[in-house]
Amino acid sequence: MAVKLECRSLKFKYGQTDILNDISFCVESGSFCAILGRNGSGKTTLLHCLNGVLKPCSGKIYINSLDIASLSQKNIAKKISLVPQEHIEIFPFKVIDVVVMGRAPFIGMTKTPGKLDYKYAMEALQNLNAQNLAKKNFNRISGGERQIALLAMALAQASKIMLLDEPTNHLDFNNQYHLLGRIKNLCKTNKLSVVASMHDPNLAMFFADKVIMIKNNHVIAQGTAREVMTMANISELYDTQTTQIKIDDNKSFFLPEAKALGKN
Amino acid sequence: MIKSMKNHNTIFFLLTVLLVLLFLSSLMMGRLEISFSQLVTIILSKITGKEISDTLVTKSLGFWWIRFPRCIMAVIIGTGLAVSGAVYQALFRNPLVSPDILGVSAGCTFGAALGLILPGDTFSLVHILAFFFGLAAVSMAMGIARLISIKPIIVLVLSGMVVLSFFNALLMIVKYFSDPFDELPSIIFWIMGSLSRVTWQDIFIALPVTGAGIILFMLLRFRLNILSLGDIQAKSLGMNPSAFRFILIVISSFIVAMSVATCGQICWIGLIIPHMARTLVGPEHEKMLPVTALLGAIFMLGADGAARSISSAEIPVGIITAFVGAPVFGFLLYKNRGSGWL
Repeated sequence: MAVKLECRSLKFKYGQTDILNDISFCVESGSFCAILGRNGSGKTTLLHCLNGVLKPCSGKIYINSLDIASLSQKNIAKKISLVPQEHIEIFPFKVIDVVVMGRAPFIGMTKTPGKLDYKYAMEALQNLNAQNLAKKNFNRISGGERQIALLAMALAQASKIMLLDEPTNHLDFNNQYHLLGRIKNLCKTNKLSVVASMHDPNLAMFFADKVIMIKNNHVIAQGTAREVMTMANISELYDTQTTQIKIDDNKSFFLPEAKALGKN
Repeated sequence: MIKSMKNHNTIFFLLTVLLVLLFLSSLMMGRLEISFSQLVTIILSKITGKEISDTLVTKSLGFWWIRFPRCIMAVIIGTGLAVSGAVYQALFRNPLVSPDILGVSAGCTFGAALGLILPGDTFSLVHILAFFFGLAAVSMAMGIARLISIKPIIVLVLSGMVVLSFFNALLMIVKYFSDPFDELPSIIFWIMGSLSRVTWQDIFIALPVTGAGIILFMLLRFRLNILSLGDIQAKSLGMNPSAFRFILIVISSFIVAMSVATCGQICWIGLIIPHMARTLVGPEHEKMLPVTALLGAIFMLGADGAARSISSAEIPVGIITAFVGAPVFGFLLYKNRGSGWL
């Protein structure tokens, strides 16, 4: 499969503190790539480097073998969208008016969104079965609904690469699987490449084609979910003993060791 | 969507009609009473060059040199302050922000006070110093923020506070050393704000500055929505938020400095009018900016009309705007309590 997004020896520092060191990986077209790591391991920073929101100290990011340093922010935005982790309270916009902002890279500097842009925005919401949100006040819907609205905004951006920062953060048990399933479908049908930072290794196990594990500023393991998601790797990544429960030949379920669950 | 579009167009139309009516009646209000027929005669004589009766000549002069420029200035200032307020609220993603937040007004006030106590041709000196120190204050605030350069928005607000307090301290020094019988009252009256000193020359400066600024804001109105999502989102959507913020702050500072330099501090307009507009047509800047502009003009014309006609001596218009503005803002807070933003 064609390589869509490549990250080559990326290095990033906040002040004197190393955040990311020598990070290299590829994401193929139409694949779902999960980034796992403990809190503060630099997952969000990595995502922000990938679409040029943050400028890395050294290293390169390529989209279709094109160095993003040579692209304007607007042209990057046409190729990569980002769904952030934090939802800031904003003006009481209607959801549809937030979703339509995803069209920004395609709208001239002094223009406002037209009928077609609203059509794309509505389609994005329908794609996620969320058309009923369109007229609601963005500030008055639940965290999970906001997550879906922001995902719709990224879909309206119509980019071939989507970065998701902890996409299941605000979602209930059912919606977590539902939403990731939808995203996975989009990967297949639209040849969308997804890079998602995730907290739950089990969700990564179920949905990711590829897994990248980050610890102490470095990639400690990467590869297909089946290769990488082993008891040893996960124990190492989260600094805790884990138990593996086999579901079938390809899938397993991981639990932290009994002590962490409060049993003696 | 269609329904709200219609709704928004109706509101826009009604406000335009209201503004025209208010403008016409403002031309007749005040100590110099001009009836409607006199108003028509005065305007017609200007157009056709026809002679008018002696009683009307004085009124005609007063009309062309005082009343008419004053009403135009009210429209310019009301629009400018209200739209700058809306832009600032979007930039800082904060409903409590008015254009004074980076110290423009404090800088202007200090400059004007300095001009009033310095010897020389005070009138133009006051204007120039006020304008200069207003812009100097904003530049200082932005310079301090740039030195610190983390978390851009909150640092800008804090540097604004630093600059604001500094210029207030300077103002106190000027007040302390001014002559308490002559200069101090004139400083205090100047601060209260009034449109009574407006001349055509002021309009020739104010109109292009405010006009150009407002046209630019209108062109960028969709970008203001995106900027209000925060810097990370704005960047992911292909914008350069810091460059945008810089340009928008510079332009609105010119507008505000110009207005404070000609008319003194007129509070509340930049704060309440954008809220009013949002309550009427919603928060999308595509819709609310034009409504903000109209409402600002209407509010200012009304306030100035009241300042001229409530008592036989003129009341500073800043008192009227503050007096009306505070309760109106309270009402708007109550009205918007369910929006999840306040």
